[in-house]
Order: sequence, then C-alpha cells, then structure tokens
Amino acid sequence: MRDVPWSGTGSDGADTKALVVEGLDVSYGDAKVLFGVSLRVEEGQLVACVGRNGAGKTTLLRTIAGFLRPSAGRIRYGDVDLVGWKPYEIARLGIRYVQQDKRVFSDLTVRENLELASYATGDRNWDIVFHYFPKLKELLDRKGGYLSGGERQMLMIGRALLGNPKVLLIDEPTEGLAPSIVELLRDVFRELKKSSSVVIVEQNLPLVADVADKVYAVKEGRIAAEISDAQAIKGHAYEQYL
Amino acid sequence: MSNTCDPAMRDLEANVPSLKRTLAERMLGTLKWWVGILVPFGVLGLAGWILPLPFVMEVLIFSIYTMACNFLLGRLGFISFGQPAYLAAGAYGTAFYLYYFGTDPYMGIVAGVLAGFVVSALAGAVFVRLRSDYFALVNLALTVIVFYMLQKVLAPITHGDNGLWFLDRMRNTPVLDITNPRQLALLIWLVAVALWAFYKYIDGTIFGACCLATKTNEDKVKFLGYNDFAIRWTGFVLANTTAALAGSLYGIYFGFVSPEMASAARAADPVVVTILGGTGTLYGPLVGALAYVGMKDLVSRLVGNWEFFVGLLLVTVMLAGEKGIWGTLQPIAQRWVGRWVSESRE
Repeated sequence: MRDVPWSGTGSDGADTKALVVEGLDVSYGDAKVLFGVSLRVEEGQLVACVGRNGAGKTTLLRTIAGFLRPSAGRIRYGDVDLVGWKPYEIARLGIRYVQQDKRVFSDLTVRENLELASYATGDRNWDIVFHYFPKLKELLDRKGGYLSGGERQMLMIGRALLGNPKVLLIDEPTEGLAPSIVELLRDVFRELKKSSSVVIVEQNLPLVADVADKVYAVKEGRIAAEISDAQAIKGHAYEQYL
Repeated sequence: MSNTCDPAMRDLEANVPSLKRTLAERMLGTLKWWVGILVPFGVLGLAGWILPLPFVMEVLIFSIYTMACNFLLGRLGFISFGQPAYLAAGAYGTAFYLYYFGTDPYMGIVAGVLAGFVVSALAGAVFVRLRSDYFALVNLALTVIVFYMLQKVLAPITHGDNGLWFLDRMRNTPVLDITNPRQLALLIWLVAVALWAFYKYIDGTIFGACCLATKTNEDKVKFLGYNDFAIRWTGFVLANTTAALAGSLYGIYFGFVSPEMASAARAADPVVVTILGGTGTLYGPLVGALAYVGMKDLVSRLVGNWEFFVGLLLVTVMLAGEKGIWGTLQPIAQRWVGRWVSESRE
C-alpha cells in the first residue's frame, strides 16, 4: 500500500503537471471497450469527451480514477504512472472523480457529506463550496436522500472541490438537470478551470462548445477526433459522433 | 458531526462562520448528549432494585451483544449470522483463563476481549471483502466451525458438551467485587453505559460517518480518498470485540461456558433483536433486548413456545414500517416531549 498524502492542498502551481493517457486498452472480461485511447489534459485545461452512449467515455474516466485496470497503456500524472494505483490513492493524489449517478450518501446530511471530504483532504474551509453553490449553505442539515437531482450534483461537485483538487473527472454533470442548474454549472466550469484541470464527459453540446478548451470525440472505444482549436470547438459538428 | 464532539472536526466551526454556535447552544447540545445516555440506563439501573436481578443482568448483557450486531447492520450494512462465534470466543477466552491460568475475574474479562479481538481481526481480514449474502453465510459457517471445534476438536481442553465450570475459582476482587451478584450487576451496568456512550460518540465522528457512507456507496468513499477496506475491517473488529465482551460477561455471570453458546441455532437471535429494537438506532439494542429477554422470561412462564410470540412481534414490527420498536416509538416520544416542553413554557 502506498502512503499517499493528500497533495491537492497547498499547490503553489510551480510544477506544471499534465494528465496523459497513452494507448489505453480496457476490457470487461472478454469484451474490449477501449482500443488504444490516448488523450492529454494540460494544467488549467477543460477537456470534454463527447460520444454516444456505450462509446466508452465513462469507462475511460473510471479507468483514470483507478476502478478499472487497463490491459495495455499508461496513465501518467506528471511523472507518476497511475496504473495499478487504488482509487483512494488516486483521490489522495488530487484526482477526483464525480460519478454520473448523482447518488450522494443518502443517510448523511449535506454537512456530514462535506465533513467527510474535509477530513479526507484536511481542507476545512468550505468557502469555495459555498462560493460556487451558495444554496448548499441553506441545506446543511438536510439528508442527502432528500435533495433534488440538481442539489445532489452541487453537493457531489462541491465535495470534490475540497482540498484544491488538481484534476476533476466529471461524468455527465448536466444529465437530467433543469436548465437553470445547467447554466449554473456552465459558470462553475468556466471558473473551475482557473484552479484545476477538468475532464468532463458530456452530451450537452452547446455547453461543451462553450466551456471546453479541447474536445475528444469518442466513438466505439476509440478517439475519433481531437479538436483543440477554439473556433473549431465552437463550430464543430459533434452530432456525427452521437 | 461537528455538532457533536469529534475533535478533528471542531475547527470547522471556526473556519465556516455560518456553522458557529453560541455557548448556550453548545451547552444544551452537551447536556442533551449526556441525558440521552443516562436516562434510559438510569431507569434500567433503578429497575434493578424492583425487577429480578438476573433479568436485568441478562437484558444488559444482551443489549451489549446486540450493540455489536446493531453497529454491523445499521452502520456498515453487514448482516451477520456469525455473532455466536464471537460471543463464544469472548466467553471461552475468559473461561480458559479462569479455569487453567488464574483466578482474577477482571483478567478473565481482559482475556475474553483479547480472544474476541484476535478472532474477529483474523476473520475480518477475509470476511469484510465479501458483501451481503456471502458475508452472512460465511459468518454462519464460522459459527458452525467454532461450535464443532469447541464440542469435538478441542474437547480435551473445553470438556465438550460438559463445558467448563469456574464459578468457584474466581477470587474476590477489591473495590467492585464481581463475585458478588449485585456488584457484578453494577459492573455490567457500567460497561453497558460506557459502551453505549462510546457507540453514540462513534456515531458523531468521521469514522462513524465513513461507516455509514461505506454502507450507502463504497465506491464514493474511495473517490473521497478513504481506504474502504480499512473502514469496514475496523468496524467489524470493533463490533465483534464488543460481542466478545458480552460473551465474557456471560461467562462471569454464569461461571460456566459450553459450546451451546456458539450454536448456529441461536445465530439469528442478535439479528432478530436488532431488527426488533430498531436497526441503526442508538436505543434499539436496549429496547430490543428488553423485549426479547422479557418475552423469554415472562411469556415462557405462561406458555411454552415463547419463540412464537417473538416471531409474531417481529412480523408486526416489520409490517408497521420496518423501523423496529424504538424506530416506531421515537417520533411519538419526540412529539410528546415537544408538546410537554411547549406546554410547560406556556
């Protein structure tokens, strides 16, 4: 077991670290899902992965987060090879994964949900959470199970923000949410990339075109296109990958 | 959690101005915390002067035994049919010490707790990797193995079905002489109160929240940077060492242990009592033990098959909302107390 101290807090930004995925192959049993996937996320970049359901986007995030072990390829963060690391070790390194399912700890209050993240990261200052999601302040004593979908998403992202994470992996953050919440998240993402690298898996194309610095189109387990030019990102016909 | 007393989280209030509480609010919180512990056990302690002492002792020991199962089921989401194995580990740890090595009953209790700790630490390293039905069954298998070991394999030292008698080997102890039944009852009462306070404290700590979070979604616990295996193992060992302590106290109380303690036929008892009292509630183990031992002692005097009435009560409780006796009564009690407080203010 690696003794991984929480490395999110206290980053002075001096060491530029990129998240680099190279030639990633991932299988579920005999079924191969990712075929030689490569991507690069520079510090302070927001990278979006688009693609239809079953293309392998979530599998890609779960593999980076340490839940799946690739059969080939490398995942590097700075000069650290993350393959073989346990999910909690990767989280302690400052790479935080926000799942698609929008399930929080339903038996715990919002306060307790945040305290769990606080304790794990050693970051007891919740200003950043309330800065992005002031509504959570009013909901501190409400149990997670009684939150709406949007409130749960706020809590999940808010929880991931504690400890000044280096990389945020966010899976389908706007799925099934009201337009007002999507607008809120759009603003949050724009601000977030100033302090962290962000990878989002998203099918909301206007949102992607608006906030992403780079877009990877994932099709049938392969990277079908990489769009990094700002103009191209806004005007690209992503529908062809959905 | 920060409303309670986890030292690691106290400074949250200093960092988040909106979470700051006044001194009066803090004092009221602390007062409620202690009243919540002392009132129910105080009532039961006083009942010890009215009700038969063996009945009160058995309720208290059974409530300790159930606290362990309540923590496993209510906090970690583990349904365990292996509790008799840990109970027997504690009882036999105590019995071996008092039969073969020494005469100090306190040292016997320490030996029992250590035995329970070792068994649960070893079993936990393997068992907590399993979930739900497999966990329940593998624990049941352990109970069967322990029973067989005590009855057959280790018969030369356990004396098989005859058991080990050590009541007359326990020497008098200073301060609280637990060879005296009334003083033993006081010790059991103190242990029950201390354990109950301990579990109440745990509930308010990050560890308690981690256990509950692991039960809800262990993947997300990993995302937060916690070692979920370590959380489950620690909780498992904690709970089953508590069960072993109950076994040790049973041993001291009866001055006798037999393989019957590890019988698989009794494997469902703590689970039933936990559900009966109210899974995951703090008062549940005490209420469940009171109902169960009460049924056993009182109903069995009137009719032969008291288990029938426990089953009937369990079905009724489940149909009433799956919250157990305390889970059902708690909102009613809170309403009464609230009404009484508001009326007394007027």
